[in-house]
Amino acid sequence: MSNRQKELLELLDKSGADLYALLTKLTLREDVAEELMQELFIKLNNSRGAGNVANLDAYARKSAINLAFDWRRSRKRAVLATRQFDEPVSNDDSPLRKLIHSEEMQETLDAVGRLKKSSREVLVMRYLQQESYDDIAEQLGKTSHQVRALCSRAIRSLRDVLGSNDHQSSKEIHNVANR
Amino acid sequence: MSQIDENQILDRLKRLSQVEPGQETTDHAVQRVRDTLIANKGCRVGLAPPSLIGRLMKLAAAAVLMIGAGFIGGRLSAPEPVNVQELQAALENSLKSSLVPAIRQELISQIDGRWQSTLAASHAQVKDELARQVRRDLTEFAAQTLAASGTRTEQRLMELIQLIEAARVQDRQRMASAFDYIESRFGNGLVTLAARTDELLDAERVGSAPDISEN
Repeated sequence: MSNRQKELLELLDKSGADLYALLTKLTLREDVAEELMQELFIKLNNSRGAGNVANLDAYARKSAINLAFDWRRSRKRAVLATRQFDEPVSNDDSPLRKLIHSEEMQETLDAVGRLKKSSREVLVMRYLQQESYDDIAEQLGKTSHQVRALCSRAIRSLRDVLGSNDHQSSKEIHNVANR
Repeated sequence: MSQIDENQILDRLKRLSQVEPGQETTDHAVQRVRDTLIANKGCRVGLAPPSLIGRLMKLAAAAVLMIGAGFIGGRLSAPEPVNVQELQAALENSLKSSLVPAIRQELISQIDGRWQSTLAASHAQVKDELARQVRRDLTEFAAQTLAASGTRTEQRLMELIQLIEAARVQDRQRMASAFDYIESRFGNGLVTLAARTDELLDAERVGSAPDISEN
């Protein structure tokens, strides 16, 4: 067994569950998260660049975030074509509430996917994985202040994106109602 | 434009952060990755890349193997010495089957070409001959038509003259009979009228003449 595989198995033991949870949060589907998890480790195993990184855990998290948002983008194209809805993930029992929450989460994740890469990573680490600013700063090679500023900017950008989405949605609803 | 505030965004993100996969599915996913990693041991790119000499050695070995395999395959698949008669017959059949259709096709195309050139050469001659023949026939037909029409016209004119002559004779006869009838009915009266008219004319002539004797 090579050193790389040993490192990856250690990473899997240490952070496998976290990575899977992260992928589940970003895709809202466990089956897709499992597939992306496979893909992530295969890529890490085949990637020559991964051998030079100092923090394999942080590298894997960033790769997982990128994989998940790549999947969301490809899925969004398919959904736009077929208008199919995934099974909602929510703890609420009311079907309507469940649907609304699911739609909101999908919308939020889509909006996060439209942010810049640095903003997206910071947002996911801070607000989805609930990591501290210091930990994020260490993983990204930035200072804590820079990470705070990045978070603030990311939230503002997300607000703009979601606001424009709401505006478009209300316009579409208005158009449909007028027909 | 923005209709969503920061608290709502944070609330959504918090809800997203609370999404957790089940323990069973997590274990399954991790185990699956582990199995994949273990099954792939030793065959990944993660191993040290082979050196250039090693690659060349591999390429050379592959080339030697290919050449050897080709040589052995050629020797094994080489045909045994064949009978010349059979070979000749086979060649003859093969040539027949391949050449006869081609030769037939070539002949057909050559004959077609010759026919076409011959027909093209005689085409103009036939055309001239045909034109001359048609012109001659037309001229003859026109002459015959003219002669026939002249004869018919002359005949019609003669008939017309005869008709006119007959009509004149008939008119004269009628006039003569009319005069005879008038003479028989009014013969004396006419003579009397003529005498009286003559007298009246004489009298007028005398009365209107100037009296020269008085001068």
